Amino acid sequence: MTGRYNADELLAVLMSRHIDDFETVACGAISMLPASAILLAEATHAPNIDAIIRGSEVYGAGVGRDMHFIAQRGKLDMFFLSGVQFDGEGNLNLHVIGDPDAPDRRFPGGYGSGLLAYTAKKLMLFRTEHSTRVFVPEVDFVSAALKTDPTITRMKQQVWLFTPKAILRWDDGLQRYALLSYHRGTTPAEVQAATGFQLLIPPDVTETPEPTDEELQTLRTTVKERLIETGTYARWAETAFMPA
Amino acid sequence: MGVPYIPVRGLAGTDVFARRTDMMIVHNPFDPDEKTVVAMAINPDVAICHAIKADRWGNAILRRGGDELLISQASAKVIITAEEIVDQVTEDDPDGLFISALNVTAVVHAPHGAHPAGVPGMYEMDRDHIKEYIAASRSDETFHAYLEKYVIGKTEAEYQALVTRPAVVAGDGA
Repeated sequence: MTGRYNADELLAVLMSRHIDDFETVACGAISMLPASAILLAEATHAPNIDAIIRGSEVYGAGVGRDMHFIAQRGKLDMFFLSGVQFDGEGNLNLHVIGDPDAPDRRFPGGYGSGLLAYTAKKLMLFRTEHSTRVFVPEVDFVSAALKTDPTITRMKQQVWLFTPKAILRWDDGLQRYALLSYHRGTTPAEVQAATGFQLLIPPDVTETPEPTDEELQTLRTTVKERLIETGTYARWAETAFMPA
Repeated sequence: MGVPYIPVRGLAGTDVFARRTDMMIVHNPFDPDEKTVVAMAINPDVAICHAIKADRWGNAILRRGGDELLISQASAKVIITAEEIVDQVTEDDPDGLFISALNVTAVVHAPHGAHPAGVPGMYEMDRDHIKEYIAASRSDETFHAYLEKYVIGKTEAEYQALVTRPAVVAGDGA
């Protein structure tokens, strides 16, 4: 981290770059970073997207059922999802930490995750902490799975995992996470050390292109204003970004 | 609704199936090469839904965006509680979502009956009360104390007198 941007801004910018114009993109109800990424893409390179942001007064009104059925018929281009734990087998946990019958901690649960992780064409996984307590050998509960029994109908998907240290990519052929790029200030070895499962690290892996001044400026002005005026995590948006 | 089960794409590969008997993976009867998840229907014996208004026959106007209509269509009996009883509710009422009396077993006049939830355009959710409820839910003892305070042996009027009325939404409804 260079001091030019904070961790939330970094993730919002990096995720926004993967949104293409004219896509139908959606995120859930407590999704500040995806909402920022979506609105940044809309304000820059993807002005014609259809955006569904659950919990937004403008982008989330009256579209819950639409989102479900758009996804069911394979027309949802992108969905964002986080979790408390991720493992190297492509599972994520949004249910419980500990024994599911006597959990240490409970989380919101994962029916939405299990459905939308399965159906979205581009799946944007993200987590604001990159550590071995998050990236574990085996999750305590599988709320959503990237691997599926081949006899069950599932579309081809592209899957990324964004963290404060790196962007990982799910390699569908090898069925493992690969390091796509590492962020300024860290190294592939440091990313691996903070990950509780083995990553594929290509020898020619490169550093993640940092957020540009233009991306940061747009995020801190246009996107911040848009979040506030559309009732999209307005209170969060007041203080989330660094000064313009 | 009233269907026995419904197919859904998703959830395969998760731990949901190990822990529940109301969802399973089956062959699509129309395409033996395909397998999907099916979820068993939930058919409540009784649904109780709060309406913005209702008439004496059971036609009512529900809030938009909720699941009350779906739940009512799946339930054996439906009780509508309503802020207001009016002469006649019609399908084109602009205030919300119409539910026909064909679905409804009984109507109860229950002003402020959504508490501690709110009614769009009429009154807000009582967040303080919901926090109290959640805090009380942490153990059987504290939850029983909550029930003693607000519910057990209390009439509706006594309950309403106990709870602080949240601010009325300005402009309409009131």
